Amino acid sequence: MTLLELHRVSKHFGGIRAVEEFSLEVQAGEIVGLIGPNGAGKSTLFNCVAGVFPPTSGEIVFQGKRIDGRRPWDLCRMGIARTFQIVKPFASRTVLYNVTVGAFAVTSRLGEAERWALEVLRLLRLEDKADMRAANLAIADRKRLEIARALATRPRLLLLDEVMAGLRPTEVDEMVAVIRRLRESGITFFLIEHIMRAVMALSDRIAVLHFGHKIAEGAPQEIARDERVIKAYLGEDYGAA
Amino acid sequence: MPLFVRSATYLHILILLLLYAYLTTSWNLVGGFAGVLPLGHAAFVGIGAYTSTVLSLQYGVSPWVGMIVGGFLSTLVGVLIGLPTFKMRGAYFALATIAFAEGLRVMVENIDRLGPFLLNGPRGLQIPPLELGFGRFMFAEKEPYYYIILAMLVLAVGITWVVSRSKLGYCLAAGGEEPEAAQSLGINVARVKLVAMAISSFLTSLAGTFWAQFTLYIHPKSVMSLDISFEIAFIALIGGRGSIAGPLLGALLLRPVSDFSRIHFGDTLPGLHLVIFGGVLILVMLYQPRGLQEPLTRLYRRAMARWAGMRERG
Repeated sequence: MTLLELHRVSKHFGGIRAVEEFSLEVQAGEIVGLIGPNGAGKSTLFNCVAGVFPPTSGEIVFQGKRIDGRRPWDLCRMGIARTFQIVKPFASRTVLYNVTVGAFAVTSRLGEAERWALEVLRLLRLEDKADMRAANLAIADRKRLEIARALATRPRLLLLDEVMAGLRPTEVDEMVAVIRRLRESGITFFLIEHIMRAVMALSDRIAVLHFGHKIAEGAPQEIARDERVIKAYLGEDYGAA
Repeated sequence: MPLFVRSATYLHILILLLLYAYLTTSWNLVGGFAGVLPLGHAAFVGIGAYTSTVLSLQYGVSPWVGMIVGGFLSTLVGVLIGLPTFKMRGAYFALATIAFAEGLRVMVENIDRLGPFLLNGPRGLQIPPLELGFGRFMFAEKEPYYYIILAMLVLAVGITWVVSRSKLGYCLAAGGEEPEAAQSLGINVARVKLVAMAISSFLTSLAGTFWAQFTLYIHPKSVMSLDISFEIAFIALIGGRGSIAGPLLGALLLRPVSDFSRIHFGDTLPGLHLVIFGGVLILVMLYQPRGLQEPLTRLYRRAMARWAGMRERG
């Protein structure tokens, strides 16, 4: 079943064509990676899907319904959650409070919201830190918190914007394991990532964005061999390494 | 006489202290939880005072009824102000609310009649104490006023407590701290702020009616002046916005300062209390940006933990 469809989505800021006629389909249960050099338009595309701003043209369809132009809170209620590249925790509050805010998307009772939030924290192995202030978390835990909070809204599709950036190699491995576990629970992922080891290991398919254009799409091995992708992004050394 | 207060002067000061604690607690619902800084709440005090007074003077309506009518009128006005201004950030929102409250005051100062309603411009309205009693919200002694404002304060604190532990409270706190993240978690930030504004302006307005019945004389400078809005914000910021204890603590610390500076320096150094507040605010913002309630709450928690530990061992 196709969960998310992007049809020739473009986003222009004045004269700048950040994303140009981008099309992609994401099947339910898939992990789809989006890679490309800095400034390629990845985050812009994410923001279009997440409802931060509407695309200039094109259609975005989620579960058969047009969603382009809808606001973020509506999309969240429809089952699309996201994380931010620059994490945005509610810093003065505890970890549990942060996740409970997300849980309130599915219930209106505090007790129930907190129970569900704790369950999500357990899933992400953050339960020991439930009473810590979000401001005092290390970066790896902040990234986890970002996912936990989004997860608490019970999404069908989770958009992850560079959740591995700034993590140490062992932490990256842990995060890969976390995402795999979540996929098994039925969540579909669309993720932006720069750490190739992680994208390659996780993704069923990868799309490559370069100056706003999609230059390639395919399974990880195909992408790693693609001439244009190597030129534009991976670099000549990638295949050798 | 309530508690330990013996003289009428001290009782008066105590009533004003509770009144400001009430006003700040009401303000805190939007100014504290929603993370914006409204500086025009005097407008709601004025609307409450004028609504109940006009209704009782011209139509003989009990001020208790006028109080509720004024509350709903303030809610309507609060939502109308909130609709365009909640999209503004930081100082722009504060300035817009000041502009609105001041505009309203200047208007009331310059009109004697609003349709059928007599406002009497800058001269204000006098409430003749003809009929005393609970039904008329008018008493010869100060004591009943003390108990009424105390009950109102308990109610406002209760509402704040319920809100802070509800979905609304969580959404407000989230939207105040990281609006973009809050939106992505399904919160329509502008809408929850409007709900908070509606509750806050309703409660604030009730204080206006209380004020009118307590002083029996209102004029635009007394119930709509910017000083009220500023003093509320001072109390909240120094006590600690967004907490339940903050407004109470702030009023407890600051109100005596303004009253005693007025009593002792009223003719030689008028406005001294505002200078003191400003100085205290700078110090508090530098060393305790979350207000004075924070270190005190921490002390209290530690003391409770020690006490619990002692009981276990004992």
